[in-house]
Amino acid sequence: MTKGTADLNRRAVLQGMGGLGAAAIVGSFLARPGAAHAAESLNYMCWEGYNAPGILDPFQKSKDVSISVDLITDSAGGFAKLAAGASRDFDLVSSDSPWIQRMGPAGFCRYLDDAEFAEQYAEFYPQFAAPFAPLQHDSKATGLPTRWGWVGPTVNTKFDTLETWSSYAPVFDSAYKDKICLLDWGDWPIMPLALYAGVNPYEELDDKALEEVRKVLRAAFKNTRAIVADLAIAQKGLIDGSFRALIGGGTYCTSALRMKGHDYIQSIVPEPKNGLKQGIIWMEATGLIDNGKNSQIAADFLKYIVSPDVAKQLAITEATCNLVPNAKAEALFSEQERKALQMDYMWTAWDNSQFHRVAPNIDDMLAIWQEELAAR
Amino acid sequence: MKIEQKSWRDPVLIAAVAPLALVMLVFFLVPLVMTAVLTFQTTQYYRLVWTWDLKIWTEVFSKPHYWTIMGRTMVMALICVVLCVLIAFPAAYALATRLKSYSTAIQILIIFAFLTDAVLKTFGWILVLDKNGVANWLLAHLGFPAEALNLLFSPAGTMIGMVYNLVVYPMFTIYLSLVRIDRDLLLAAYDAGASRVRAFFEVTLPLARPGLYSGAILVFVLSLGAFLEPRVLGGGTAPLASELIRQSFETRVNWPLGAALTLVLILIGALTLALVGVIALRNPFGKRRAAA
Repeated sequence: MTKGTADLNRRAVLQGMGGLGAAAIVGSFLARPGAAHAAESLNYMCWEGYNAPGILDPFQKSKDVSISVDLITDSAGGFAKLAAGASRDFDLVSSDSPWIQRMGPAGFCRYLDDAEFAEQYAEFYPQFAAPFAPLQHDSKATGLPTRWGWVGPTVNTKFDTLETWSSYAPVFDSAYKDKICLLDWGDWPIMPLALYAGVNPYEELDDKALEEVRKVLRAAFKNTRAIVADLAIAQKGLIDGSFRALIGGGTYCTSALRMKGHDYIQSIVPEPKNGLKQGIIWMEATGLIDNGKNSQIAADFLKYIVSPDVAKQLAITEATCNLVPNAKAEALFSEQERKALQMDYMWTAWDNSQFHRVAPNIDDMLAIWQEELAAR
Repeated sequence: MKIEQKSWRDPVLIAAVAPLALVMLVFFLVPLVMTAVLTFQTTQYYRLVWTWDLKIWTEVFSKPHYWTIMGRTMVMALICVVLCVLIAFPAAYALATRLKSYSTAIQILIIFAFLTDAVLKTFGWILVLDKNGVANWLLAHLGFPAEALNLLFSPAGTMIGMVYNLVVYPMFTIYLSLVRIDRDLLLAAYDAGASRVRAFFEVTLPLARPGLYSGAILVFVLSLGAFLEPRVLGGGTAPLASELIRQSFETRVNWPLGAALTLVLILIGALTLALVGVIALRNPFGKRRAAA
């Protein structure tokens, strides 16, 4: 074999490899479902569950649109991403309601005309009727509610009675030392503990109130076995009894377990303490990103995601099961699903709860959490 | 043989170095500078505000809890280095000397374990360390009281996860150093009357030093950024720097603070490595060899 032949062969092989690489790249683009032939595309930032094929596929087919999903694992992180410039790239966002509410004045979300969504509001429970204050800024709506639940102690009734947890007192009881699990989900575990300390975290707090928050977190940390971010670890501990209660997760970590037959796991809302409601209603919402396109198809998706059939699918996902604001969807749930979602208890929880909204001193409270965690 | 002196102005040398220099510049130095610039900004309403001030650095230096966590991270990283080396050295030594015939098979097994996703491995430890886990089940069958081990959600649990995920690095670097040791040197030591122990400390250990150091550095640097193990196995009992940085970036949406803490961690890590480097240059093996 001459050198020239060898060079030629090497070049041919390299050319062949380059060609194969290029073909693979082109092929991967062509293979993306819907990407090659869809008339329009939507970029959607959302929590897991909103991206279920059963939810997205029918809309993609009926509207000839391709939806690209970017999953968020943290509402604040999603907001920060939009703030960093991603708001130009996205059309829709589904996140926790305080963050959707913030997106209006921050300039990320288009304000909605309630009249345009009158049909959707008409299907909602009266509690979510327009004008729906938790999603409004200056009397303008920043999104539509999509899922909700409550935050209270999540209890395994094989080990504890629900009456025991009619207050957060066991979190601080030495009898429960190393049996409590706090969910490391941003502000979620802080708010109920602040409420127990007699501080309403959704109001402007002075130094004295923040000191009370510090004290209650410190006391809770002393009695806590683990501060866990992973839902599966928390649920496993609750089922096997190594955790007697999960604090800061509420129905978000309950309903999926109940759907799987663990109906002895329940999330409740403690009794009001000194006139202060101890429960918290959390809610997810979906908003239209203000990216300059004013996309009608994004608005159509917003109507679609809150429609009864889709809302029912959104309520029952593999990872988590949650309530939805659409009253018409209620008729679509089976008896097992209704029990799993604790629907017989939902308005009791609602009546005894604060609404999770923008807390003026949230960064101060998160800083306190960080400091007390470091000192553990 | 005449060694050709090359000038840094040599176009061939510049062309050879340029791609790597460019990659380092774009993917390391520029982000590092951007991170440093970020620390002088502030956030307002969860958005970055470009105002040049020292607010974030004042906070970093005035809040002791940041330094508590940084200190804890350093201690955990150093303990992890010591444990990894102590576990890896005998294993690598056995592979290089006593288990030569099985060495390939064992290496393949170690590589498989190494390539298995760290998330999977770390979550697997929950099933072992849990109060109702495999470890306690075994101990109970050996006559120990129920739930004798309580390692899950503790700093010890974090350390077990870190050592397990990182021990493979020094194992391979030490193994590579050991297999390159000329056997004749050991035989010469024995001929000169050295015992096995003395030959090990006078010949094997000094010659394995490059592998030991490189393995230790790898473990140290990776331990500084340990995120998964404290989060999954630590249960918030001993948060490390990576979790602090994540909280600052994600939960608090305070990017300048996260950037400042990242820089502090990088600086502390670099200074520690420099300090260890200086100590290593004055190590007893070197002195003894020079004396010989």
